[in-house]
Amino acid sequence: MTGDQVPFAIAGAVAMIGAVVAATHRDPRAAGAALLATLLALAVLYASLAAPLVAGVVVVLALFATVPVAVHANVRAVPAEARAREAPVAGAAIVVCAALLLLIGFAVAFGEVPVNVSLRSADGYDLAALAGTLAAHALPAAAAGGLAIVAALFGLHAIRRAPR
Amino acid sequence: MAVLYIGAVVFAAGALGTLVRASTAGRLVGVELMFAAATLTFVAAAVGFRELDGQVMALLAIAVATAHTAVGYALSARADRSA
Repeated sequence: MTGDQVPFAIAGAVAMIGAVVAATHRDPRAAGAALLATLLALAVLYASLAAPLVAGVVVVLALFATVPVAVHANVRAVPAEARAREAPVAGAAIVVCAALLLLIGFAVAFGEVPVNVSLRSADGYDLAALAGTLAAHALPAAAAGGLAIVAALFGLHAIRRAPR
Repeated sequence: MAVLYIGAVVFAAGALGTLVRASTAGRLVGVELMFAAATLTFVAAAVGFRELDGQVMALLAIAVATAHTAVGYALSARADRSA
């Protein structure tokens, strides 16, 4: 077994075992964790099959769709009075998400995001352009988004400490 | 190819979960596994036929699976809340 086949075999085993556990386990937390492990193992398989775009999409969806759904299915809902107290948190989350969406929009509008990379390109994916985009635009956008999150957290902290 | 066998096992597990599980969320997990197995088969076909059409179809299947799971889980959560 060569070095390339070892991660393939491990990911395949994790995918199969995780699928069986996710389909049969009675504990929803264990089933959700097994589903997440299955999806991530499948992402490794996609990457090993020269499909990095599909692998990236699966990883993003697993982290931003499967995990929130699993958490929502397992965490008990808070009472109504506690939910009313958490209204500033929801407002801060909306502000942060709006800032991040604006940053992404500006990065796409003013940057040179390679959205015109063809899937049928004979040369494969334009990884050099993608790396350049990450270095030139995504990192500043992520830094600005991080600053926005820090500012929102400071604002939330100030709201909570303010006398009512 | 070994990938096809892996996809077959994942699909069988998803079908088993869809048929056996009593809860709606459990059945949705089974459907999600079947979609993942189909996506894996599409990618394996793309490699086997040396075409990228399978990867495009895999992306389409992922989008459909995500929308299906979101709508299905929202409906089941709504039904549980109103029950």
